[in-house]
Amino acid sequence: MSIDGFESEVHAWGRRLAAQLPRAGRNPAALAERRMMQAMIGDPRLRAALFRFVDVRPACRDRAELVRHLHEYLEEAAIGSDGSGTARRLSSLVGRRALELPTASAAALGVAQMSHRFIAGEDAAAAASELTSLWQQGRCVTLDLLGEATLTEAEGRVYAARCADTLRELARASAEWQRNPLLEDDGLGPLPRANLSVKVSALTPHLRANAPARALEAARDQLLALLRLARDSGAHLHIDMESLDTRASITELVLELLSAPEFETGPSAGIVLQGYLTDSEEELERLLGWLREQPRATPFTIRLVKGAYWDHEVVMAAQHGWESPVFTDRRSCDRHYEHLTRRLLDARAEGLALRPAIASHNLRSLAHALAYSDHLGLAPEAIELQVLRGLGDDTAAAITAAGRRVRVYCPVGDLVAGMAYLVRRLLENTSNDSFLAAQTTGAELELLLEKP
Amino acid sequence: MSTQNSFRNEPLLEFRREAVRAQVLRALDELRAKLPLRIAGSGAGELVSTNPANPAEVVAIAADSSRADADAAVERANAGFAAWSALAAGERATVLQRAAGLMRERRQELAALAVLEAGKPWAEADGDVCEAIDFLEYYAAGAIALEQGRPLVQLPGERNTLRYFPRGVCAVIAPWNFPLAIPTGMVSAALATGNSVVFKPAEQTPACGHAVVEALHAAGVPSDALQLLTGRDEPAKALVAHAKVQMIAFTGSVAAGLSIIRTAAEQAPGQQHIKRVIAEMGGKNCVIVDADADLDDAVPAIIKSAFGFAGQKCSAASRVLVHRDIADALNERLAGAVETLRVGPAEEFASDLSAVIDAEAQERIGAFLGGAGVEPRASAAVPAGGGHYVAPALFVDLPGDSRIVNEEVFGPVLSSERVESVEAAVALIESGAYGLTGGLFSRSPSTIDMVSRRGIVGNLYVNREITGAMVGRQPFGGGRMSGTGPKAGGPDYLLQFVEARSVSENTVRHGLVI
Repeated sequence: MSIDGFESEVHAWGRRLAAQLPRAGRNPAALAERRMMQAMIGDPRLRAALFRFVDVRPACRDRAELVRHLHEYLEEAAIGSDGSGTARRLSSLVGRRALELPTASAAALGVAQMSHRFIAGEDAAAAASELTSLWQQGRCVTLDLLGEATLTEAEGRVYAARCADTLRELARASAEWQRNPLLEDDGLGPLPRANLSVKVSALTPHLRANAPARALEAARDQLLALLRLARDSGAHLHIDMESLDTRASITELVLELLSAPEFETGPSAGIVLQGYLTDSEEELERLLGWLREQPRATPFTIRLVKGAYWDHEVVMAAQHGWESPVFTDRRSCDRHYEHLTRRLLDARAEGLALRPAIASHNLRSLAHALAYSDHLGLAPEAIELQVLRGLGDDTAAAITAAGRRVRVYCPVGDLVAGMAYLVRRLLENTSNDSFLAAQTTGAELELLLEKP
Repeated sequence: MSTQNSFRNEPLLEFRREAVRAQVLRALDELRAKLPLRIAGSGAGELVSTNPANPAEVVAIAADSSRADADAAVERANAGFAAWSALAAGERATVLQRAAGLMRERRQELAALAVLEAGKPWAEADGDVCEAIDFLEYYAAGAIALEQGRPLVQLPGERNTLRYFPRGVCAVIAPWNFPLAIPTGMVSAALATGNSVVFKPAEQTPACGHAVVEALHAAGVPSDALQLLTGRDEPAKALVAHAKVQMIAFTGSVAAGLSIIRTAAEQAPGQQHIKRVIAEMGGKNCVIVDADADLDDAVPAIIKSAFGFAGQKCSAASRVLVHRDIADALNERLAGAVETLRVGPAEEFASDLSAVIDAEAQERIGAFLGGAGVEPRASAAVPAGGGHYVAPALFVDLPGDSRIVNEEVFGPVLSSERVESVEAAVALIESGAYGLTGGLFSRSPSTIDMVSRRGIVGNLYVNREITGAMVGRQPFGGGRMSGTGPKAGGPDYLLQFVEARSVSENTVRHGLVI
């Protein structure tokens, strides 16, 4: 097929998905939220103020503290604000005594509601009905346990125990789900219903950017125990990627453990590839090289993401005088993402025991992946798409309606623990480069589907 | 000064990349093969520096200079002053920039030297090299700007100018904890502004001191305009007392600093000027943690500030003042984090804490710990063998009159106290003698503003670690008993090394302005 021909396939998939997106505007809450998002995109100071409020909210002891913080953030945002003036209006509103308590209550409630959109529940048990309902709607899930940073051995042990409980709870709850072939077999073998994403940085306080070997020693036993539990309970264990500081530790640890003979026939496991890293192709080649040589009979999942630590990576590099490890231009980043998508799907088509999972909220990136998968002649179930709960709900519905498999990444945990996650998601959602932001502000579909 | 916006710090080595780690480890092997280094110099006796992690390993053998050696060095420097000060600032700057280039070329080797001789962990040792390079570049550019003088009010019939002049011989007395950066900073500031220098490095780190001088000489600083004087106390005391020393740039302990200021105030026979002393001294640095702080950020930052380089920085955190509402949570997490620290040789990337500088320091810190009367709330194991290791220690809720709470320990010891409010914490800091660095963890803009405006310390760090000041970004230095407040690496630093002279010329002749 010619390049133009393939492009038209991508656009066709894009239009097909777009046509299935639920219509916004009917639901007043969704409309209000969209307005709020538009205000935030248009006024960076207001955006900053609200982020800071969301961030501090769990640390406020009482309503008075809430009011004080909210007022201070809005006041800063109002000074010299050249945006919509929303910050100024809100600031004067919060400043009025009579309005203070109701405003704070509303703001607190707002944060709580917002967090419920992103966070499925306190724990796996609390989220079980939500997961069941997603499955009934034709979507599978992976759970992510939110938590405070692990700074002590005890905190690492608590996280590991939560992971173990979650694996058991997921196995128990998912046993009753109705059979759904698209979600349970991808042509390489059965796909576990129970699927947990874990963070190595939460398992151990010994991650050191300059000494990857330390985390290897420290997290080996914890991760080993979880892999055994996943194997014995028939669950999938996915190891998340974090900032570049920890990539070497995590990759080495995962590949080393999975190479052990005891894991030859399970569990199903996977790792994450971050497309925004300029050297992620080398990283992918390393993973594929390992996959070609390792004796595992169980397929390995590679989840391709754009990457969620963009600001962190850019700031760290600038402060230390390093070359940025991430693409700083959106189009190059999107182009690279598509390139990696094709490399993953090519590898699958070659017959490697590889399960490509394309995680994105960018309609173009998803359409490109589906079009390329079709172009290679892969079966519909061979490719998996992934989205985040709260951000990609509409996209997930569209993918399901188009008859493809989508996995929803569902964080669980309490509000305090979830704050870092929530703030990162919000930043992502309203940043200038955000696809969702472009969608919110009503960009033309053809523009959104343009080749990067 | 136009240097402020164009200056960029020397990039740190990216140790998170394996190839970069391998490169410095090779440099370490190469350096090790050359040990012990022999440093030529005047002085009959020998001064031996050793690896703090393995005192049996001799790093360098240098001259142990005497009073007579110091006197001779001052005479030579005095003779060398005329030619060096006669150069234009731009010419001197070129020499300093060349020295920066030479250090850049040898940066792995220099970092390895700081690892072995000062027991500095890699990231800190590399930071030391980069800071040395930064000082050379920053002060070179600053001196060019300073040579322009400052604008004055001009009225018809007169021409007013203000220019800065070097002082003469500057004695630089440097510490071992930043064995490359601090001497390079003091020496290059003096040289950039046209002074000549006699530099006395700490007795623990003569090879690092020599490396600085070597780079400057190779770059073109005449040998009599800059002289190295290795040794113990005797030559340093002789320098301070010498009639022809115009100024003393010192970084070190409060006791030594006050003694220098006292001696410098005495007029030596034949002395025709008042000596100026620039002193950077100790600190008892506090981190305030407000009730709304994010402990996920505060705990690692406090741990790094208190235990990085085993607490042997004048900027290191030694007291936590935490709001009572979150004190238990913070202390619990701090204790757990201290227990994860790994003590080991600086040359191993996996070490969080290195050995302290020498046996004397080990004993001194041990006495603090022994005198506490209670066991620390948290600690970590130290390796066996002969290294000068001290286990990290966290104390919680010690009595207010405890030595650990009040005195500078200069070791891996941290104490945590509860306070009623941020205001109470600020008052506690104000009631103490020191004012070097301080930290604040708060998410309230008004609290941050309040503490900033109080000006309690020379360097306040908000929601981050309190060490690691960067040249041009965080000018460093404190007031009160912490020093004379010159702010190294800042736009005003060079003014300490010069004297201003103004000239006013009458431009009216025969009633006409010409």
